[in-house]
Amino acid sequence: MLKSRKVLYIILSVLLIFTLIMGGCSSTKSGSNSSSSNAPSETAKKVKLDFVWFTDGVEGKVMKEIIADYQKEHPNVEINLIEVPYDDLEAKLKTMITGGKPPALARVTNPGAFASAALELTPYLGDKDTFMSQFLDGLKYYCIVDNRLIAAPMEVTANGLIYNKTLFDKAGVKVPQSPDEVWTWDEFAAAIKKVMKDGGAKYGVVWDFTPHRWTTLLYEFGGSIFNQDATDTNINKPEAIEALNYFKKLVDEDVVAKAVWLGGENPNNLFRSGTAAAHLSGSWMIANYRDTIKNFEWGVTYLPKAKIRSSVLGAKFVMAFKNSGVEKEAGEFIKYLASKEIDDKYVRESLFLSPRKNPDVTYDFGTEMFKVFSNELAVSPPAASYDWSRQDIIPKFTSDLKAAVVEVLQGKKTAKEALDHVAELAREAIKEAQQNK
Amino acid sequence: MGKSYRLYKIERKIIPYLFLTPNLLIFGIFVIIPALYGVIYSFTNFDGLSKMDFIGLKNYINILHDHLFWQSFLRTTIYAIVVVPLIYIGALGTALLLTQKIAFRGIFRAIIYWPTMVSFIVVGLIWKWIFGDSFGVLNYLIELMGYKPIPWLSNGFNANMTVVIASLWSRIGFYMVIFIAALESIPATYYEAAEIDGASSVQRFFKITLPLLKPTSLLIIILSLIDAFKAFPLILALTGGGPGRDTTYVVQHIYEFAFTKTKMGYASAMSIILFFVIAILTWLQFKAARGGEIS
Amino acid sequence: MKYRKNLKKLLVYLLLIIISGLFLIPVLWIVLSSLKTPTDLYKWPPSLFPKEITFVNFETAFKKGNFGVYFYNTTVVTILSTIITLIINTMAGYALAKYKFYGSNLILIGFLSTLMIPLEIIMIPIFIVIRTLGLYNSLWGIIIPPAATPTGVFLIRQYLLGVPDELLEAARIDGASEWRLFWNIIVPIAKPVISVLAIFSFMWRWNDFLWPLIVISDPQKYTIQLAISNFIGEFNVDWPSLIAMSVISMIPVLIVFLIFQKQLVKGIVTSGLKE
Repeated sequence: MLKSRKVLYIILSVLLIFTLIMGGCSSTKSGSNSSSSNAPSETAKKVKLDFVWFTDGVEGKVMKEIIADYQKEHPNVEINLIEVPYDDLEAKLKTMITGGKPPALARVTNPGAFASAALELTPYLGDKDTFMSQFLDGLKYYCIVDNRLIAAPMEVTANGLIYNKTLFDKAGVKVPQSPDEVWTWDEFAAAIKKVMKDGGAKYGVVWDFTPHRWTTLLYEFGGSIFNQDATDTNINKPEAIEALNYFKKLVDEDVVAKAVWLGGENPNNLFRSGTAAAHLSGSWMIANYRDTIKNFEWGVTYLPKAKIRSSVLGAKFVMAFKNSGVEKEAGEFIKYLASKEIDDKYVRESLFLSPRKNPDVTYDFGTEMFKVFSNELAVSPPAASYDWSRQDIIPKFTSDLKAAVVEVLQGKKTAKEALDHVAELAREAIKEAQQNK
Repeated sequence: MGKSYRLYKIERKIIPYLFLTPNLLIFGIFVIIPALYGVIYSFTNFDGLSKMDFIGLKNYINILHDHLFWQSFLRTTIYAIVVVPLIYIGALGTALLLTQKIAFRGIFRAIIYWPTMVSFIVVGLIWKWIFGDSFGVLNYLIELMGYKPIPWLSNGFNANMTVVIASLWSRIGFYMVIFIAALESIPATYYEAAEIDGASSVQRFFKITLPLLKPTSLLIIILSLIDAFKAFPLILALTGGGPGRDTTYVVQHIYEFAFTKTKMGYASAMSIILFFVIAILTWLQFKAARGGEIS
Repeated sequence: MKYRKNLKKLLVYLLLIIISGLFLIPVLWIVLSSLKTPTDLYKWPPSLFPKEITFVNFETAFKKGNFGVYFYNTTVVTILSTIITLIINTMAGYALAKYKFYGSNLILIGFLSTLMIPLEIIMIPIFIVIRTLGLYNSLWGIIIPPAATPTGVFLIRQYLLGVPDELLEAARIDGASEWRLFWNIIVPIAKPVISVLAIFSFMWRWNDFLWPLIVISDPQKYTIQLAISNFIGEFNVDWPSLIAMSVISMIPVLIVFLIFQKQLVKGIVTSGLKE
C-alpha cells in the first residue's frame, strides 16, 4: 500500500519537474520571439504594438474593427489590444512603464499623469498648435503638456441631464426644448418634485457620486477649482460655498437622491430601474441606456442654469510611450486614429461625442441628444475644461473634495469649514507640482 | 545504525532548511525582494512613474501627523476586534455542526463555503441588493410591513455593521473548513473515554475539544486578524468607504495615496508600518500561545 | 433517552437549515440573476426569481471574449500551481512544526506579516523580477510565484503540531531517512489538511486577479478573472455579463470543494495516534 503510493509520488514529482523544464524552455522561446519582433523593423518583419485599453461599452469592438482594417493596410504591423479594467488601468500602465516594458500605446483619460514617459507626437501629427486647432479648445490643456504634444483626443464627454420621459409625461412636466427655455435650478427642483409627486418617481435626481460631476454645479455658480493658471485654488471662494450649500439644499429636499451620495448606491442601476426622475451624468450613458433600458422612455435635456450654464468637459485620448522600441509605428497608428475619417467612424459607431469643433457626425441613434450635449459644452466656461486637465495636481485632493461634500451633506461640517480644508490640501498639491517643474 | 551519531546530528540540523528551501526561495524571490524595494520606496517621494528622490524619514514623520491615517487605523482595529471573535465562533460553531453524522453533510458544507469563492465585486453587489437604503430588499420588506426604512448604508454606524455582516458571510466558510479538518483529527477514543467517565457534552467540548484545537485556534485568530486588517476590496465594492469616510479602513487609505494621489513612497511607508503592527501582534500571540503547541 | 436524541437531531437539522439558508440566499440571488434579462435585473421592486428564465447573458458574455481559451489557461494554471503549493507548503509546514531550529518562529512570523503588505504597492518591483526571470507574459509567471503561500505553510504547520514526536522518533530508530519519514508518515497523516489546502489553493489560483494583472499582457494568455474584470469600465459595469461569467466560473471551484471535502472525515491513520 505504502509502496504503490510512493511510486505514485515519484511519478508525480518527475512529471512536475519535467513540465517545469518544458515550460521553462517554451517560455524562454516565446520570450525571444517577442523580443525579436520588437527589434527595429525592416518592412518584412512583423512589428507588434501593445495597446493598453479599457472598455465601457461597445467602443472596444469598434476599435478592434479599426485595428483589423489598419492591419490589412499595414501587414507588417500587429496590434495587441490589452484590455484591463478601468480601475486598474493606471496601475498596469505604471507597472509596465516603470518596470521597463512600456506598451506602445494606451487609451487614457489623463495623459498629463504620464507626461514624463510620453512620446512626443509632433513628428507624426505635425505642429502641435495646428493639430490641436481642429479640436475643442479645452482639449489642448490635456494634450500639450510642458510644450510637448503627448496625446491625441479620440472622444469627448459632457456632463448632462438624462431624464425618465415616461415619468415626466405622466406628471405632465415638459422639459426645455431649446437653450432659450433652460430651467433655473429652482424651477428644476419644482419640476422634479412634481414628477415625484404626480409621476410616482421614487427618487428625484440620481447624481453621479464623483467630484467631477459635482463640479457641474460649481461652475454654474461661477466658481472654479483653480485660478487661471492653477497657481492658486478658488475652491473655498464664496461662489463655491454657495454652490455647495445649494447642493445640500437639493439633497435635503430629496430633489437629489440621498441614496447615491450618502448610501453609495449605483446611480446607473437606480435610473435603469425606472424609479428615478432624472440622472445627472453625461454623454457616455447614451450607448449604455440604449441597450439596457427597455421598459420606459428616456431622453436628454438641458442642464438647469445658475449664474451661468455649464457642463464639464471630459475626454479620452490615445498616447504613445518612449522606449517601447516601436515608437515610429505607434506614432503612425495614432496619426491614423486621429484622422477625421477614422475618428468620425469611431465616435459614430461607439455613440460618443466627437472631439472636433463643429462636428458633423450623424448617429444611428440619439443625434438630437448629442446636439444637446454639444450645446452644453459650447456654453461652458474655460475653467470647466482647464481645471480637470491639471492631472498633475487635481487627483491629489479630489477624494478629499468628495469626502468634504459628504461631510457637509451629513451636517458634520459647514460648507466653509469643509472647503477651507480642501483648499489647504489643494494649495499643498499646487506647491508640490510647482516644485516638480 | 549505519550512520555515525555526529553525521546524524548534522543532518538533523540541515534537514529543516532543506524542507523550507523551495517555499522560501519562491517567496523570497517574488515577494520578499519586491517588499524590500517597498522599504526603499518608503524613504523616497516615488510617484510610481519617474520621480524618486531620497527624502529620509519624511514619509514616516508625515504619517505621525496624518490623522486620517490614524482614524482609519482605529476604525480598522475596532472592526478587527468585532469581526475576529465572531468569525472564530461562527466558524467553530458551523464546523461542530458539520462534523456530526448527518445526511447531506457535504452539501451543507458546500453551501457555507460557497460565499468564500464569490469575487468581492459580486459580494458588494449582493449586499447592496440586500442592504441598499432605497433599492435594497430588506428595506423593501420593512416598508411592506409598514415600518420606516432603516438607513443601512447612509448611516456610519449601520454601514460598519453591514460591512461586518458581509465579512462574516464571506469568510466564515473558509475558516470552517480548517476547523472541520482539525476536529476530525481528534481521536474518537478521547471522547469515548470521557463519555464513560460521564462527562457531559459541554464538559467534553471544554475539556477535550478546545484544548486540542489550540494550534488551529491560533491559526484562525492570526489569519482572520490579518484578513481584517487587509479588509478592503469587499468594503470598496459595498460602501466605497462611505458614507463620507465612515467605512474607510486603513488599506483603502493606503490605496488612495498609492494610486489616486500618486504618492507611492508615502503609501509604501504606511504599508511598512502596517507590516510591523501585524508582525508584533502575531509575535505576541505566538508568545502567549507558545506557538500553539498542545501542552 | 432515544426521544431526547431524536429531538437533538431535529434541532441540529433545523439549525443547519436556517444557517445554510442565510448563507445560501445571497448566492442564490446571484445565480438566479444570471438567468434574468438585463432589464429584469434592475427591476423595482426587487425579486429573487427571474420573471422568465433566459440564457441571453451567458450568450452575450461568451461573445465578448475568447472564454474557452481563458478557461483552459485558468485550468492549467490552477492545477499546476496547486500541485506546487501542496508539495512545497507541506514541506515547509512540516519543517516548521517538527524541527527545532534557529529562526523557525521568525521565518513563520515574517512570512505571515508579509501578507500585510498590499501586493499592489509592490507591483512594480514584482514586475521587474518577473521580467528579469523571463516570466513576463508566460503562464509560469502566474503558476510559480503565488504558489509559496504563507497561509498554506501556517495551516500545515499548525496541523502537524498535533502529531506526536514519538511517532517520528520510532521511525527514525528503525532507520528511516528524513525524506522517507516525510513521504511515508507525515504526508499520509496530513492528508485531511492537505485536502483543505488543495481546496483553498484551487480557489485562490482560480480567482486570482492581481498576479495575472501584473504578469499577463497577451490576450491569448488571459485567465478567467482577468477577462471578467474587463467588464468593468470607467462609467459602466457590464453587470449582466459579469454576473453570468462569475456564476460559471464558480462551478469548478464548487466541484473541487465537493470532491476534496470528502477527505475531511475521521481517518483510520489519525485515530489512535495521539496516545
